[in-house]
Amino acid sequence: MELDELKYQLKHKLSTNHAGRSQEDIAALLTKKTSSVIGKLKRSLRIEIACSIFVIIVFGYVGLTSKYQSFRIYFFVFTILSVGVLFLLFYLLKRTTQLGGTTLPVKSNLQTIVNIIEEFTKRCFQFTMALIPICFIFSFLLIYNEPKQMPEAERLAKHLFSSPWQVISFVVIYMLLLTVGIYYFAKWYLKKLYGNYVITLKECIKELNEE
Amino acid sequence: MASEKEFISLLNQHQKIVYKVCNLYMDRHSEREDLFQEITLQAWKAYGNFRGDAKFSTWLYRVALNTAITFFRKEKNKPAIYSTDIVPDQTEENADPIEEQVSAMYAAIGELSKIDKAIVMLYLEDYSYIEIGEMMGITANNVAVKMSRIKTKLKTGTQKHFATT
Repeated sequence: MELDELKYQLKHKLSTNHAGRSQEDIAALLTKKTSSVIGKLKRSLRIEIACSIFVIIVFGYVGLTSKYQSFRIYFFVFTILSVGVLFLLFYLLKRTTQLGGTTLPVKSNLQTIVNIIEEFTKRCFQFTMALIPICFIFSFLLIYNEPKQMPEAERLAKHLFSSPWQVISFVVIYMLLLTVGIYYFAKWYLKKLYGNYVITLKECIKELNEE
Repeated sequence: MASEKEFISLLNQHQKIVYKVCNLYMDRHSEREDLFQEITLQAWKAYGNFRGDAKFSTWLYRVALNTAITFFRKEKNKPAIYSTDIVPDQTEENADPIEEQVSAMYAAIGELSKIDKAIVMLYLEDYSYIEIGEMMGITANNVAVKMSRIKTKLKTGTQKHFATT
C-alpha cells in the first residue's frame, strides 16, 4: 500500500499513542531545565563569563599590587586578554539567546546553530593556542629579568646536561612537544564536546540542499 | 502571568502535535517524555515572538520539528527496544490486515532520516508543498522531489516490514 492510502490511519496512530497532559503538568514543565545542546552551550557561556570576570578582578588586582615587574606585566596582559574574551563570550551568549526566541525555517535554524557552535569552538581553540606563546614569552622574561636561585634545579640540570646546547635543545623540544600536545588535546576535546553534533547537523543541511 | 496562562492553554489544546512529533522521532517512552519537555520549553521561550500572523498549530509544528531535528541524547547502553505500537502482536491469528500495513509503514517511517520524517509529518497533516517548503527552508520543487523519493522508500520499507510480520 502507498503512503496516501494509509494517510488517515497513520495520522491517527501518531496522535493516539500518548496519555495526555493537564495544564498543571505543562506549567510544571516550564520550570525545568533545557537539555538541548544550545541550552548547554548557553550554560557553559554563562559559567565562562563568570570565570572571566573573576580572572579579570584577581589578575587585575595582582597586576596592580605585585612588587615584581614581570608579574605586573604578566597579569596585566592576561587581564587584557580576559577582557577581550569576555566581550566575545557576551557576543556569543547574545547570539545564542536570540536563537532561542526565534522560529526559523528548519534549514536556517540548523545553519545558525552550526555557525554559533563553530564560532564558539574556533574562538576557544584560538584562545587556548594564543596562551602558549604568551606563557613561553613571560616564562623567559621572568627567568631573565628576575632570576631566583634554585639549588636543587641547578644540581639536576648539571647532572642531566653537560653543555648549554643540550639545555637549549631540551627547552626547544619541550616547547614543541607541549605545543603539539596542547594543539591536539584542544582539537580532540572540542570535537568530543561538539564535533559529532555539528557533523550530524551538517548532514541534515546537506540532505536539505540535495535536489 | 497572562501570557503564560495563555501559552499553557494553547499548548494544552494542541498537545497532540507535540506528541505526534515525539512519537515520530523517539522510540523509547523516556525519550519521548524528554523530547516533549524540550519542545515545551523551546516553544515557551519562542512564544514571546509569536505574533499570531500564522496559526498556532503551524508555529508549533515549526518549533517542534526544529527541536526534534536538533535534539540529541547520548546513547545509553540499553538494548534496542521496539515500540509495542510499531510491531504488531504476532500471536493474534486474525490480525487486521490494514492495521498490519499501517504498522509496517509506521516502522518504515521510523527508519527515515530526521529530515524525511519532518517532511512526511507535514505531508500527513495536509500541508501543501509550498507550506512544507517554507517550514523546511527549501523550495516547493525540492519538497516534491524529496516526497517522491520518500514514497518510494516507504513502499520498499513497508513491503520489507510487512514480509517479516
